[in-house]
Amino acid sequence: MGREKAAMRCDVSAQNQTRQWPAEERCEGAANDVVAPSGHWRLAWQAADGRVPCSLLIDRRAFGAALVLLMALLMASLAYLAMGSNPLAPQAVLPALVGRGDIMAVFLVQELRLPRLAAACLTGAAFGVAGCLMQTLARNRLATPGIIGIDNGATAFAVASVIGLGVSLAPPAMALVGASTAAALTFGLAAGGGTRGYRFIVAGIGVGAVFGAITQLLMAKVHIDTANAAYPWTVGSLNARPAGAVTLLAVGLPLGLGAALWLTRALSLMRFSDAVASGLGLRVSQRRWQVLVVSVWLTGLAVAVAGPVGLIGLIGPEIARSLSSPRGVPVVASALAGALVMVLADLAGRVLLAPIEIPVGIVTAVVGGPWLLWILLRPASRNLA
Amino acid sequence: MTQHELATRDLTLCHGRATIIDRLALSLPAGKVTAIVGPNGCGKSTLLAGLSRLHAPKQGAVLLDGRDIQQLPARELARRLALLPQEATAPEGLTVAELVRFGRQPHQGWLRQWSAEDQRIVGKALVAADVSELADRPLDTLSGGQRQRAWIAMTIAQETPLLLLDEPTSALDLGHQIEVFELVGRLAAAGRTVVMVLHDLASACRYADHLLALRNGQLIAAGPPGEVVTTDLVRQLYDIECTLIPDPATGSLLLANVRRAGRVKKREGEG
Repeated sequence: MGREKAAMRCDVSAQNQTRQWPAEERCEGAANDVVAPSGHWRLAWQAADGRVPCSLLIDRRAFGAALVLLMALLMASLAYLAMGSNPLAPQAVLPALVGRGDIMAVFLVQELRLPRLAAACLTGAAFGVAGCLMQTLARNRLATPGIIGIDNGATAFAVASVIGLGVSLAPPAMALVGASTAAALTFGLAAGGGTRGYRFIVAGIGVGAVFGAITQLLMAKVHIDTANAAYPWTVGSLNARPAGAVTLLAVGLPLGLGAALWLTRALSLMRFSDAVASGLGLRVSQRRWQVLVVSVWLTGLAVAVAGPVGLIGLIGPEIARSLSSPRGVPVVASALAGALVMVLADLAGRVLLAPIEIPVGIVTAVVGGPWLLWILLRPASRNLA
Repeated sequence: MTQHELATRDLTLCHGRATIIDRLALSLPAGKVTAIVGPNGCGKSTLLAGLSRLHAPKQGAVLLDGRDIQQLPARELARRLALLPQEATAPEGLTVAELVRFGRQPHQGWLRQWSAEDQRIVGKALVAADVSELADRPLDTLSGGQRQRAWIAMTIAQETPLLLLDEPTSALDLGHQIEVFELVGRLAAAGRTVVMVLHDLASACRYADHLLALRNGQLIAAGPPGEVVTTDLVRQLYDIECTLIPDPATGSLLLANVRRAGRVKKREGEG
């Protein structure tokens, strides 16, 4: 059998162990005997000549985590569509989704709740991925866009746009400009310390505070009605979503997610110290720029829709990491966990004190605050992202 | 194996305005163990960083087979030259086998994530560094010596003809130091060129084929330890007096009767 032959050839090369070179000495045809590393599935396509042009590894635990999170997200979405001031029976939700059943139920689901659910999923996923990227970039789990001031920068600019501060750019564009400005300021101020360590985070907190103050100042200076229009952005809410911003996010999120997935191999190397990563062939500074741009992009677009719900960027990746394996950077799981947390938080905000609605930013702050404290107070050995 | 030549030409490395390595020209003998020694702050680690492209030269170049390494693509360089930095940190929870698999990274790609060759080489690297039994243990549960061997296994899996180690034995006890040195010796015997920064001159004499002695960013001696290490060199390097005696078993030089240099003179160029 061909298989035996391959095994024999393998043995021959194993006996040659003292002669480690040349590297050309390969086990051709042994592809059948390749065992996936523990905890992985290996998908390989073998060509007719025995060569393996393509082999992919799938981390079982990461895959399982993504699956669990996806199921949880679907359940949460169903609950989201069913619950509210006009509750629907769960079995009425699915027909209503496709336009069947009670006309009121169809209206509630299709016109009111579904768009908001979509916005929650999109923003949650964007915040989750942006947080995961920034944490990996800084190798510190506290370094999420929300904490290092990027959310606040985006918010200040979006508010400036809403209250018509002489700039005619739409909120999403302004939010992107604001996110980039805040990121540039944070990185500029932390220069010398690099993107690692507390200097970077402290600089970010300072930048965030300044932008937060600017937002308040802008609100204080305009007419009360204008200030009311801009208010949702300052706390984070899915109630007043600019329609264009959601569409833009729906296009921008897949782009950002795709870029993040394309960067996953680089991201998994970035968790090593720089010298190790570059020794393994990573162009460290170039990749860092790319990761930063993707993170700022996602943050800006998400803030334009929902305002600074930055704690999602902390909680989402945290859940993703605890479910996934330490072998990789959980980009997909962070997106799903971010979306899940956002959907649950907004659902809680809608339902808990109905008919009064609590903005989702406040719900996440109530949950995320203690979470943040827990991370800070936990033993330092688990401080790395 | 084709021998790869690593050399420097007129290499100048600076930290900010301070010149650490000054117009250095050297070449590293292929298939041998080279040790870089010198006092603290002499630029040993900076030189190693320069050789591995972590530190861009202000002037001059590091040449790999005659080509400036600044012009090599990152992955291609990582397939020819592996580096173990001094403070290597890994993501928490990573096991030894997972760490060693990262050594294959420069040889892999999106569509080629795990091949028969990867499997064979990782297995061999685990055996060579004697960490097969530890393969499934998380790195953070290992002793210092075991962890260092796991890291070296990662660089072995990179299958590079050149291997640069920055103080691979610092923070290890004597037994673990010997393990690492013997592993390095086996790698050189298998055809690799190894360069390591060392603190301990006696270990350098014992385990290196070639010695580079640095002081104030200048090369003050280069050659086989038996030929270049003299009491004069030791005084120049560390400002100490000693008697050099050959090891009765191996013949390598030992430092005996070590004491501070007689006259209290100001150490030149400190800082």
